[in-house]
Amino acid sequence: MELQKKLEILSAAAKYDVSCSSSGSTRKNTKGGLGNSAACGICHSWSDDGRCISLLKILLTNVCVYDCAYCVNRLSNDIPRAAFTPREVAGLTINFYRRNYIEGLFLSSSIVKNPNFTMEQLYESVRILREEYNFNGYIHLKAIPGADLSLIESAGRLVDRMSLNIELPSNKGLQLLAPQKTRENILKPMGFVNSKIVETKDNRKFFKSSSNFVPAGQSTQLIVGATLDHDLKILQLSEGLYKGYKLKRVYYSAYVPVSSNPKLPAIIKPPLLREHRLYQADWLLRFYGFNSSELLDEKNPDFDTELDPKSNWALRNMHLFPVDINKAEYEMLLRIPGVGVRSARKIMSARRVRSLDFDDLKKLGIVLKRARFFITCKGKYFTNIALNEFHIRQALTEKNKVAQDNWEQISMFSNLVELPSPEDKFMSLAGEI
Amino acid sequence: MINYIYDGTFEGLLTAVYEAYYRHEAPLHINSTTNVQQSLLDINVHITTDTEKASKVYNSVREKISYQALKNIYHAYLSELSDIEVHILQYIKFGFKEGKNVDLYLSDDRVMAVHSAVKKVMHEQHLMLGMLRFKQLEDNVYYAQYTPDHNITNLISSHFARRFSDQNWIIHDLKRKYAAVYDRNSCIFIDIDDEFQMNYVDKSDNYEVLWKNYFSNICIKERVNPKLQKRNMPGRYWKFLTEKQI
Repeated sequence: MELQKKLEILSAAAKYDVSCSSSGSTRKNTKGGLGNSAACGICHSWSDDGRCISLLKILLTNVCVYDCAYCVNRLSNDIPRAAFTPREVAGLTINFYRRNYIEGLFLSSSIVKNPNFTMEQLYESVRILREEYNFNGYIHLKAIPGADLSLIESAGRLVDRMSLNIELPSNKGLQLLAPQKTRENILKPMGFVNSKIVETKDNRKFFKSSSNFVPAGQSTQLIVGATLDHDLKILQLSEGLYKGYKLKRVYYSAYVPVSSNPKLPAIIKPPLLREHRLYQADWLLRFYGFNSSELLDEKNPDFDTELDPKSNWALRNMHLFPVDINKAEYEMLLRIPGVGVRSARKIMSARRVRSLDFDDLKKLGIVLKRARFFITCKGKYFTNIALNEFHIRQALTEKNKVAQDNWEQISMFSNLVELPSPEDKFMSLAGEI
Repeated sequence: MINYIYDGTFEGLLTAVYEAYYRHEAPLHINSTTNVQQSLLDINVHITTDTEKASKVYNSVREKISYQALKNIYHAYLSELSDIEVHILQYIKFGFKEGKNVDLYLSDDRVMAVHSAVKKVMHEQHLMLGMLRFKQLEDNVYYAQYTPDHNITNLISSHFARRFSDQNWIIHDLKRKYAAVYDRNSCIFIDIDDEFQMNYVDKSDNYEVLWKNYFSNICIKERVNPKLQKRNMPGRYWKFLTEKQI
């Protein structure tokens, strides 16, 4: 088969893997070698679906012995099949890399023959790149569940990131849709890789030259919407993975219908909004100091479609607001809806030299669309909306409601009931008008 | 009204700052010679670049303000935005007053003007690390063309010198007729005039075809989102992207 055709089949087969980040590794170029990796990660292009292309994301082969219902490469699916040789993969990577198309390689594979054989093939591709081509760019390799741990370890010595996809958030889902896989089968190598990462880090404190192991950490992926699991279940799983296995990232992939199997939900469009909410919550877990129990509970096991998780949390905890921008701790600034890590840092540095008012916040580039309901500056509240859950929720979701016809054309003679602003209320109480 | 005219180099700009200080003048504009508009009422003062004066400003910014401020000034200068020179002068004046804290005044107009220029330059610089495309020429030379908004060739070349250290490459800024040339040992910067032609055989490169093929296959058709794509990768850069050529 021609290389063109193979690339066509095997890149299309790999596209449902979401991960494409190239950050977290600082591998340096060697003398006479090619490439290095940038700790911040670099995107090289964006495909028509708006997702970044940083790595050459391909499968070694899409010939699979498994028959997982949600997967496009399942055994029973009638699609064209192809396989690269390890040398072809290495050649493609090097030539794309030299033209600055990519930051490195993301190599995955379906299971051919058995897990060990597949893992050996993956290892061989990576070995050729590192040892024969002296390639020092970024490599993300899939570890194959069920493969020998020693194979995974020797591959881990060569790559920057490893990942094992959990795909289905519950055991029940696995039994239903992927009966040949078990959860233990996936978690065991994940735990192994984690223990090796920790061990290597400790070793390198004393022996700088000792070989590195998966310096950019592990990641995994969960499919959203292929099973009936609630958001709460998914988020708790992610939290467990971040804490227990020190994962760098959990990716969420809205289920794109690839099969008409009766075990799968019949959906027309992938649940993109749900995926988006999960990512928002994921960021809250990793960078904002939230727990999953603060965001969701048994009573509300799914995210609100109208409001983002952070605004929702804030509305349920109105007793903590409003926050004084000039005095609040960094941790509390981070909890204001609409204020992110960058904004919070800007506020922290700007207020060291000058106390801030609302104009200053605008100049700092802080988005006040949501934040204005939750903050005060120099003792002043910014909006004329009462500081309670009901009114703020209404104001935040207003945009969606304009479409409904609860508005009226104002005439010269209509009597408008004017709501007193908080300042008016205060003035009437204090008696200074 | 006093306008300063300098030669467009960073040393020239620092000399202009020096002169503004010691002549006690507040120039309304500081323009480079390539960009002069004569007006009846203005007095144009030509600044002769003086490396000694420039290095005095350079060192005192570094010592009395901070190294970060010096970097900000250089990056803002590279932005080539209109009137950025005057903003730099005001930033330096404010900096000498406030010392190393100057970069904390994020809501001050003098600081904001410089910071926003720096942000634009750094953003484009980072974008270009990914979006520059090399073509393989004969004699195993890799050649990239681009027309960046800001003068970032110097900034990005060090990245490529580290990354493609075993490769001969040229990065050519068509807008400024300026190029970085690397020969596996060192990187030099040269001015290139219009007549310059690479022995640029337009032979079809199989890997370019493969790359286009990959680009169209990696997209999930159910999730097509051209708005998001354009936001991440503005249309003005598509001209030199291999994957966007038909």
